[in-house]
Amino acid sequence: MTYRCLLQMVLLLCFSTTALSMNYSLLRFQQRKSVAVCQKLLRQLPSTPQHCLEVRMDFQVPEEIKQAQQFRKEDAVLVIYEMLQQIFSILTRDFSSTGWSETIIEDLLVELHGQMNHLEPIQKEIMLKKNCTTGDMTVLHLKKYYFNLGQYLKSMEYNSCAWTVVRVQMLMNFSFLKSLTGYLHD
Amino acid sequence: MVQSVKRKQGWHLLQCLGKVFSWRASLSWVLEGLGGEANLKPENVEIHIIDDNFFLKWNSSSESVRNVTFSADYQILGTDNWKKLPGCQNTTSTNCNFSSVELKNVFEKIELRIRAEEGNNTSIWYEVEPFVPFLEAQIGPPDVHLEAEDKAIILSISPPGTEDSIMWATDRLNFRYSVVIWKNSSSLEERTETVFPEDKIYKLSPEITYCLKVKAELPLQSRVGYYSPVYCINTTERHNVPSPENIQINADNQVFVLKWDYPYENTTFRAQWLRAFFKKIPGKHSGKWKQILNCENVTTTRCVFPRNAFPSGIYYVRVQASNGNGTSFWSEEKKFYIEMKTVIFPPVISLKSITDDSLHVSVGASEESENTSVNQLYPLIYEVIFWENTSNAERKVLEKRTEFTFLDLKPLTVYCVKARALIENDRRNKSSSFSDTVCEKTKPGDTSKTWLKAGICTALFSIPVVIYVVRLFLRCVNYVFFPSSKPPSSVDEYFSDQPLKNLLLSTSEEQTERCFIIENASIITEIEETNEIDEVHKKYNSQTSQDSGNYSNEDENSGSKISEEFLQQDSV
Repeated sequence: MTYRCLLQMVLLLCFSTTALSMNYSLLRFQQRKSVAVCQKLLRQLPSTPQHCLEVRMDFQVPEEIKQAQQFRKEDAVLVIYEMLQQIFSILTRDFSSTGWSETIIEDLLVELHGQMNHLEPIQKEIMLKKNCTTGDMTVLHLKKYYFNLGQYLKSMEYNSCAWTVVRVQMLMNFSFLKSLTGYLHD
Repeated sequence: MVQSVKRKQGWHLLQCLGKVFSWRASLSWVLEGLGGEANLKPENVEIHIIDDNFFLKWNSSSESVRNVTFSADYQILGTDNWKKLPGCQNTTSTNCNFSSVELKNVFEKIELRIRAEEGNNTSIWYEVEPFVPFLEAQIGPPDVHLEAEDKAIILSISPPGTEDSIMWATDRLNFRYSVVIWKNSSSLEERTETVFPEDKIYKLSPEITYCLKVKAELPLQSRVGYYSPVYCINTTERHNVPSPENIQINADNQVFVLKWDYPYENTTFRAQWLRAFFKKIPGKHSGKWKQILNCENVTTTRCVFPRNAFPSGIYYVRVQASNGNGTSFWSEEKKFYIEMKTVIFPPVISLKSITDDSLHVSVGASEESENTSVNQLYPLIYEVIFWENTSNAERKVLEKRTEFTFLDLKPLTVYCVKARALIENDRRNKSSSFSDTVCEKTKPGDTSKTWLKAGICTALFSIPVVIYVVRLFLRCVNYVFFPSSKPPSSVDEYFSDQPLKNLLLSTSEEQTERCFIIENASIITEIEETNEIDEVHKKYNSQTSQDSGNYSNEDENSGSKISEEFLQQDSV
């Protein structure tokens, strides 16, 4: 009697975990693909002049990005969404001084926008359920970091040197995004 | 004398009293002073932040109108560097505006403290709970610019705060705007819509005054702002060239078909598209709309354009009509998700019987789907329907693998399979149509195998039995047709001396006896002599040499008879 019950309970647990994880598997697939496309597009942009990278800037990169830490999948979604949003926001600014291809930037924006669209329903679900998560603090730290990037661009009058530095930062961001997608499979 | 003494005493008394009174007076003054300091501190200090405007409000505890001033300091939490809060130094009112504070960023926790001052007396510091300005800030009213058409109003909304806003720098593109619109004549008919910074409100009536107010929201942070002031505008008179309506886009194989409704003939149309992300960016992007190449100057209410003109993404499409009388306003902008129009092709199934109780299924992509990138866009899973050909009971299975096996089947039974492809865990439940049904029979079963095994076993065991039977049969045959010279068993007792072996094998050895040809009587006696050795043997031997088949039980008689025959023969 107890054996049968136990078996049923085990089966139920297995199925329920699969049911929950299936919610994220499509997202993970799309996210991974999206990040790969974005990295490819970013690398197509020329990275000149090199001397601009010699200046060390402190944008106050959040600790959570510098050192990989454990993320719950809900927090991972919030962080990913915030980063996509902020990168999108930066890329809408004036890059005319760089001579970068408008098509590539537009393709990047399309990709980012599309992925944000995929994330939005899950983001809404999480926001409804959440109380106070550690994701909040990370999001605040991220906002500070991207604010610093934006202010830097503005202070340098959106010249190509500043954009080169920002491009390097974005490449680093996408590497981090790639690792974050790993948390979407629980 | 006495009088002078009395006068002196009185004077002293007065002096004493005076001192007492003055002491008391000073005491009370001191007491009053002390009490006044305790009442000097500010109370109920509150912070109000709207966009980039910072306000501090408090209540003064002392009620008397005195020269009480207040000053505030601030510092970043964690540092120990109190700085003067600009705009809140030595202020007599109970509020101040410190918007000119130059915060490096609004995402760090700030500490504030405020105290009251009167002359040289200062109260203790009232410390405000540390806060993050960004989280405390309220969303102010947005700036709205309107333009009217006949049946729509064009909105141009600027985000709250200035363009140089520090507070909303990171969220400018995240604002969504909620518009409440009503006819000026009857405020009961209200409508609320959520719009982008550059958007239109449709389905209005011409030549009506509409009023609206807009508020900005950050939906993903659950924050709502203040409403803008009310703006009113008149819609224009009905345009002589109406706009196209009811735009639809459908996918058809390798093309998209754009259709719309239009009431009149003799009209040319053109269609434009816009990438959806532009809508998020404030500011006019009328220059970003692009012409759909196959949909320029078309005279029918539909146009067809190839699928590869639009790589995957989200788009808006709008259509405009023009005829001799002029050009219409643009139609409603229709949002168009390329992925939703993606066609998933049905898979190709192959079925193979491996053992008697299982069937192996192989799911493959059809040739057409090889060319499209659907499989690369989404992970696919397959819904496989499986049933016995004779019954209707269907089993439904969801499989991610492309090679799998159905187990526990009946042998020698026909089973059929059909499948369709689904996007894994897609909320839209997008799927292909079902593949062709494929049927296959399972191999012969285990029971016949066991019969076979039993048969083999019985065969193996029956061989010795058969051999035994055959031998018996052969013996019978031999007995009937080829009798052996074996003596009957009753004779065995006479051969008890000799081993039985010799008797049975008598046919193999020819027993030789000494025979003599009888020529005269003497020889006869010799014969008799030679046979004296064993009378029995003698008789038998003579008998056997002549008559192999005849046996006689009468020993003596026969023996003598035979000897007589000999003699007779010889004599003749």
